[in-house]
Formats: sequence, structure tokens, C-alpha cells
Amino acid sequence: MAATRTGSRACEIFTTLEYGPVPESHACALAWLDTQDRHLGHYVNGRWLKPEHRSSVPCQDPITGENLASCLQAQTEDVAGAVEAARTSLENWSTQPGAFRAQHLTRLAKMIQKHQRLLWTLESLVTGRAIREVRDRDVPLAQQLLQHHAVQAHTQEEALAGWEPLGVIGLILPPTFCFLEMMWRICPALAVGCTVVVLVPPASPTPLLVAQLAGELGQFPGILNVISGPASLGPVLASQPGVQKVAFCGAIEGGLRLLIQESVWDETMRRLQARMGRLRGGRGLDGAVDMGARGAAAHDLAQRYVHEAQSQGAQVFQAGSMPPDSPFFPPSLISDLPPASPCTQAEVPWPLVVASPFRTAKEALAVANWTPRGGSASVWSERLGQALELAYGLQMGTVWINAHGLRDPAVPTGGCKESGSSWHGGPDGLYEYLRPSGTPTCLPYLSENLNYDTFGLAVPSTLPAGPETGLSPAPPYGLFVGGRFQAPGARSSRPIRDSQGNLHGYVAEGGAKDIRGAVEAAHQAAPGWVGQLPGARAALLWALAAALQRRESTLVSRLERHGVELKVAKAEVELSVRRLRAWGARVQTQGCTLQVAGLKGPVLQLQEPLGVLAIVCPEEWPLLAFVSLLAPALAHGNTVVLVPSGACPIPALEVCQDMATLLPGGLVNVVTGDRDHLTRCLALHQDIQALWYFGSAQGSQFVEWASAGNLKPVWVNRGCPRAWDQDAEGAGPELGLRAARTKALWLPMGD
Amino acid sequence: MSAHQRGTELDLSWISKIQVNQPAVLRRAEQIQARRPVKKEWQAAWLLKAVTFIDLTTLSGDDTSSNIQRLCYKAKYPIREDLLKALNMHDKGITTAAVCVYPARVCDAVKALKAAGCDIPVASVATGFPAGQTHLKTRLEEIRLAVEDGASEIDVVINRTLVLTGQWEALYDEICQFRKACGEAHLKTILATGELGSLTNVYKASMIAMMAGSDFIKTSTGKETVNATFPVAIVMLRAIRDFFWKTGNKVGFKPAGGIRSAKDSLAWLSLIKEELGDEWLKPELFRIGASTLLTDIERQIYHHVTGRYAAYHDLPMS
Repeated sequence: MAATRTGSRACEIFTTLEYGPVPESHACALAWLDTQDRHLGHYVNGRWLKPEHRSSVPCQDPITGENLASCLQAQTEDVAGAVEAARTSLENWSTQPGAFRAQHLTRLAKMIQKHQRLLWTLESLVTGRAIREVRDRDVPLAQQLLQHHAVQAHTQEEALAGWEPLGVIGLILPPTFCFLEMMWRICPALAVGCTVVVLVPPASPTPLLVAQLAGELGQFPGILNVISGPASLGPVLASQPGVQKVAFCGAIEGGLRLLIQESVWDETMRRLQARMGRLRGGRGLDGAVDMGARGAAAHDLAQRYVHEAQSQGAQVFQAGSMPPDSPFFPPSLISDLPPASPCTQAEVPWPLVVASPFRTAKEALAVANWTPRGGSASVWSERLGQALELAYGLQMGTVWINAHGLRDPAVPTGGCKESGSSWHGGPDGLYEYLRPSGTPTCLPYLSENLNYDTFGLAVPSTLPAGPETGLSPAPPYGLFVGGRFQAPGARSSRPIRDSQGNLHGYVAEGGAKDIRGAVEAAHQAAPGWVGQLPGARAALLWALAAALQRRESTLVSRLERHGVELKVAKAEVELSVRRLRAWGARVQTQGCTLQVAGLKGPVLQLQEPLGVLAIVCPEEWPLLAFVSLLAPALAHGNTVVLVPSGACPIPALEVCQDMATLLPGGLVNVVTGDRDHLTRCLALHQDIQALWYFGSAQGSQFVEWASAGNLKPVWVNRGCPRAWDQDAEGAGPELGLRAARTKALWLPMGD
Repeated sequence: MSAHQRGTELDLSWISKIQVNQPAVLRRAEQIQARRPVKKEWQAAWLLKAVTFIDLTTLSGDDTSSNIQRLCYKAKYPIREDLLKALNMHDKGITTAAVCVYPARVCDAVKALKAAGCDIPVASVATGFPAGQTHLKTRLEEIRLAVEDGASEIDVVINRTLVLTGQWEALYDEICQFRKACGEAHLKTILATGELGSLTNVYKASMIAMMAGSDFIKTSTGKETVNATFPVAIVMLRAIRDFFWKTGNKVGFKPAGGIRSAKDSLAWLSLIKEELGDEWLKPELFRIGASTLLTDIERQIYHHVTGRYAAYHDLPMS
């Protein structure tokens, strides 16, 4: 009887040639959950932790809604416990030789290899993602990541001499993520000797499994600790004493925007629709589907977007074979969206693609860059010259030419703008978890009393302050903006006193309007400066160095006036000259080519300028710190707005006189005034691409808080002084890393 | 078989701007083999379907009437009767799509098939197979003689020299002459893709062959060092689709050489299904040139029905 039924079924399939289900058994995932009695706790210090009196949330199959397990929610003391475990093991782990850590990571890679089926079925079961994605991409990449970083650890002592691990790293994962995102961050951290506490959202068992696999290696159980809990625990983790850095991870990729040149619009849309029609969706654990589902919430988000787009006049094309009911959502192609409609501004949810036409490559570039996001993009063109020009022009962390979605542990992956400024993989990924050796550990100091609303808001009034005794000729009065000295918008001045307390002179009192003008001038100068060949940039820095040398006697006397000893003042000027020359020389060696396994063709690792870089210089070393910060910023192609030392801004203004004749206008802008006020204006400016602040702990705290508005990268000193006269701190590689961002440009080749 | 594909006038603008993105093709080829597995009853049904696409082939110097006869019998009865019965497929008339032999063996094949009482077409290779390095005159005569002997399908090889030197008009003219020489017989044009140098050339040669009126385009002779590969197939299938979109004419596809395992054949079926759709999954538009593939398919069917793996002697020889 059974045979006949099979037979008749075969007859039918023989005619229709349809696809059948290819269920991947997830028995092992369930069996693993059973080992915890379907009740998951946290994995800390090599063992499961199930504290009592905690609430728990169900972990559900996103497709069937079936309850798979319950997951405990952590509380503050659980977080503290995990951080304590990470701190304890840090001492041991970070002092091991790199070669030893390399072995340990290799063992973890092997461990994952041995249990890969468990890993991929569990991940697919709880996330609903297609098994082929997890099995064919994520799990092998997780192993490659471990192996790559094992090699990095092995060579750490030579390759990363002068750097030391940061310490305990807190990692916060978003509600929807894939475990691979965690691997991108923990691998470099562990490799360089940090230990990690991961806070995962409730009901995400895969990170717990990875932690268990790491824990079962026996040695060093506390290097990777995973606790699950609500997002409200994020600040708790961040403020734990001993946590040196907190890394966030964004949600996994959403929908896409597609720009198609008008001349090939019809043809491209036709092919796209044909291809979409062949996509298969279904349960993630089916081996023959292209797309799984990401739960009811993702479905509703996509549904809402489609409805809105339709109501705004868009065309929606949906195709593919997909189970009709929620949480499955068909791949959708949206076109004809009016340019100003709200949907064009909103983020596109998965699995949607919004297509819009463009006329010229120049227009495409402008449209593509007209977004606060800057993660990754791909360029498709049969003309390599055009593709390269677009790829260089895109403000993105990763650009693929004629390819999409390739990743490799050796290639840094990151972004710019609101996609964040941290890097994973490659050399850049390692520096995220390192600091120059010997840097004092400034524990994050968070003042509860800092009033963000009023910090630096008001400028104290300044009045005439006695007879001027400044040396003549005094530098021209004014703010150095757009290549010349300009009167401040507020039309008032602040007195500068020398070390004796006598009035040295007045400098202009800059304010919000002056900052706005300076940033505008810097933006205008940016394209010209970026377009300069490295040689030309070096020549200008060297010319500035020569000018500084000529001005030596004036600078020395200015410094002396501020209580610097003659010998020290001379040394400061001399060192400043040397700094300019050194960074000029370094301009020439930027960027490199990477070779990636499995890819024919190179990956170009480009060093790109950040854009407009704002720098608040420290009070100390008024000339040297100013030059030491300015030089790397210019060398890497940034345009700059600087706030010089508040007590002694005169030497910086002296240098401005040379910059006025040597440098293109707007390349460097120097605004004097109340430092807190100017810092406030800079931090709240959304069109500044990075901000360095050297000043008080409070100022640092404000800068970090305010800069979150556009997620610009900040570098603050938390009130700790820096040894600007030492090469390690005053001219070390750290400055170069901070002054540029990396772009990975993938160039697959073949004919 | 249906009427011939009539071809079109030569239009070089269809190929002049084409540039194939080879790395992307390679990635797609890699993905597609892993993304559409078929299991259980689906696998059995798909394998039986694959049997009906096979051009059962022998192209050896030592072919004689006796092994041709055996081949023809196997073409008529490709799967053991009891296995088909177990699947309730014994009355579906499952045979291979054709037998494929050298011109000199066409008579033997026609005779053997007649004796077996079936109308499976005989395909003959021609035009100086496999290198094509003979005079045009003899190549054309070869086609005519094979048709006279009873071949209803002719697998011609193209002149690779014309492709490599970019003489597309000359290539078009030659294939048009082949087409004419075939008369009523179907023309399958072998591109010998392993010798064309680039995927872009593969696309261009495919397009020219279709414009000149080929009923099928075929990857390779089975005698080159590189035979039917997925990347090449993707390029040819995209050319077929483009040609269909432009003209409404459906041209068939035949991969040949190196397809030996049942698993391979499933991947080829899903490739056609994904790239061209179900309408191409019929013997009029899809063939697999193979000699040993059938044996492996029969073993897999045996396993599906009995739950055991067959020894080679459990199944009839081909």
C-alpha cells in the first residue's frame, strides 16, 4: 500500500517536476536544549549559571511559535558577576604569550567544527534564517575568523609591539542579530588578550552555545561570558568598574536600495523580476529554500512599509514561491516611489528592495551618499574605470565591484557616518581592542551631576582687563577662518594673561556662528584637499615646517612669556617642526592591497580622510600639542577646525599667519574663545565627521554624550594629560589610525 | 519532434556590447549546486525524468554494431522493469531521449532501434567531430550522408578558429549552411566551450549559433579537456533566455561531457528549472549527453526502491 502511494506521488512529481521539502533534522538542537532541561541560564566562567528568583522569557520558534525553552533574564548582580569573572581571567589571559592564545583560539575553531551541525541547526531554528545561509556561510566564516585571529595572536609580540590589550570588553547585541556578528567582535578581542562579557537579548541560545564550547576547552573558562537580559542592562554593563570598552552591534542587514541607470532600467527590472520569481522561501530548516522568515515583527514591519509605499504611489512587485501566511513575507521590489515621499527617507526593511532610476554616474553618487548610513554598497558596471570612480567616491566602509556581500576575516569591515566607526577583521579590527602601551588607564568617569543642557551654554562676559603688554608685532586679531583673520560674530574679545598675570593681549571670542562658518569653510576646502596627491600634501606640510622654523624666535618668546623655560620652549618649537616633517613623510605610505582566500583579485584597503575633523587642543603644550594634532589630520586629507589652548592661544595664532600664506583657504580654521562653549558647539554640530577633545573629564563626558547625535567618532582624554613630547603619545601610530578611516574595495577579477 | 527553430538575420548589435562578469557567474554556479537539493520521492521522480533527457552516447574508435545494439536496447529499457513497477512508472514509456553515435554507426543504430521496435531518434555527430578541422565541403557532405543514413538529429561542431579570431559573420554563414544541409533533421550546435577562451566568447558564439537556426546549443564534444561546467552553462542559458526574449524562439540546451553521477544530473535539472523555467524541462528543449550516467541513475533508483545499494552486476550493462 505504501509503495503504491509513493508510486503515485512519484508519477505526479514526474509530471510537475516540483521541488519537495528537504527538512534538516534539528533533533540535536532540541537534545542540546534538553541538556539544560529547556531552561537556559547564563554561561559565566565556564559553567552554567541559573540564579533563582529571576524572571524568564520564552524562546520560540519564530515560524511555528512553538516554545523551545525558557531563558532567564539577568539582573544587575549577574552582570557584575560576569564582569568579575572576565576581570579575574584577564590577568592570566592577557599575560599569556601570543602563541599560546593562538593555540587556544585554534582549539575553539576545531571545537566549532566538531559541533557545527548543532550550531547551524540551533541558529536556524531560533532565528528562522535559511539553513544554507548559516551552514554554508556563517559557520565556516566563524571558523575562519578564529583561525585568522589565532594567526594574529601568534605574531602579536612582533607585529603589534607597543600596544597592549584594553582589558575587559563589554559587547551588547541587538534584538535581531546573527551569531556571526558576535564572532566578528569577540575574535579580535580574545586574540589580543582581552576578555569579553556579552549581553545578548533574551532568547538567543546560540551565543550561549558558543560560550559553552569555549568553556569546555577547559583552560581559561572566564574569557568569554554570555549573559542574556533586557536592553536596559546595557548601561549597567557599560558602567561596571573594569569594563574598558563597550562595543555595540547593529541589527543584521535590512532591505536594500537599488539605483539603476535610466538607459538600462527596463532591462534590469525585467531580469530582476525574473530572478525574484525563482526565489523560494519557507521554513529556515528546509535545505532548499533561499529565504527563511525573521518572525512576526519583521513581517509586520515589511508589511507596513509596503502599504505606506503603495499609498505614496509606488509600484510593488512581489514574486517567488513563499508560504502565504505570516511570518513569511515575499521578496518585494518597490519602484516609482516619488523622490520626496517619506518612504524614500525611511530605512528599508528586510526583504524589500527599493529601486530608483538615475541619469548619470555623478547623480548616482550624490544620491547614494545622501544618507546617514555608510555601511556597504556594491557597484555593478561593465566599465571598470567608471566602477572604480564610483567606488572611490562612495562614503561607505565596504564597496564591492560587480559582487555583493563578500566577507573575509582579513578584510576590515566597518562603516562611516551612522553605521558606526568601529572595525571588525583585518588589522583595523585588532586596534579596536588595543591601546598604546603605557597609556594610563583612565577609567571612565561618569559624573551624575553634569548637566548636558547647560554645559558650555553661556559664555562669561569679558571686559577690558588692564593695559596690554603684549609683544609687538602681535599676531593679527581675529578668528582664522577660511584662510584669513575675521572678526568674531559676537564682536567681543577675551583677555589672555601671561604667567605673571599681566594682560598679554586679547583674542577674539568665538561662538556658535563662528563655528558654523569655520565648518562651512572646512567643507568647501575638503574636495580640493582630498584631491591632492600625497606628494603635494607632504610638500605643504614640509613648507609649513620650514615656515615654523623661520618663526622660531617669535614662537619661543611667546612661549617664554607663558612661563616656559627658554630651553624647553626651543625644544618645543623644534619638536613641532619635526612632527610636521614626520607626518609629511608618512603621507606617502597609506593604503595597501590584501589578498583574500577564495577570491580571484585584490581587495584594496584604502585610507580615506574622515572629512571635517574638529580638534579641541589641550591646555598644556600650546604649540606642540596643536601641531601634533594638526599634522596627522592634514596628512590624512582631513580639513580641520581647531580650538587652541585656552590659556595660551597666541602661538597657534602665530602659526595661522603662515598657514594663511601657505595653505588653501579653509583647510585649517582656528577658533579661539571659551573652550566649553566652543566644545558644545562642535559636539552638537551634525556635519562634523569626527571630534577630538583634550580637556576636562566633564568636557569629555559631554562630547561623548552630544556626539551620539550623528555617531561621529570621538577621541577624548577624560581629563588625563598626555605626554605630547614623547613620540609614542605625541606622534604614535594611534594618531594616524584616528585621523583616517579604512575603506575596503573588493575587486574580483576574471574574464 | 516539433518544427525547427527558424533563426534570424545576423544582428551583431546583439553581441557587440556583451561583457560577461566571470567572477559573478562563478559564484552563481557555486551557489546553485547547493541550494536546490531534492530528496526521497522527489529525487526518484527527478532521476526518472533525467533519464528521458539523456542522449545515450557512444563515441569511441572501437564502436561496432554489437555494442551499438546493446546501447540501443539500453536506450529503450533504461531502468529495470521491476524497479519501474515498484514506482508505478512502468507504463510511462520511459526511454532515453536519443542515442548518439558517429556517422559511420548511424545505420547500425537505426537498424538496432527498428529491431527493438521503438522510435527513439538517432543523433549523429558530424562536421569533422570533434575538432572540426576539415574542409567545409567535407563537413557539409558528412551531414548529408548521416541524414541519408537515417539520423534525425545532427550534432555539429563549430569552427573554433572563427570564434577566436572574431569572424562572427563567417561563423553565422557556416552554421546556416549546416542548417540547410540538415534538411528535416534537428541541428545541435556544439560550441566546444573549453576551447573558446572566455565566457564572453561563449555568450557570443551561443547567440550566433541561435541566430543561424540551431535547434540546440551544446556545451562540448566530451573530447576537450574542459567539458560541461556550470559557469559555462549559466552563460549559455542566459543567452538562450535573451534570444527567447528577443525573438520568442525557444532553443534547446545540451550539456555533454563529464556528467557521470545521478547527483550531477539533479543539479543540471535544477539549473535549467532556475534559469529557464519548467517549460524547458522536456526532451524537445533539454538533453544531457552522457554514456555512464544512466548506470548511476539506475543504481540510485534501485536504492530508492529496495533500500540497498546495487552491485554493478545487479543491473543490465549498457
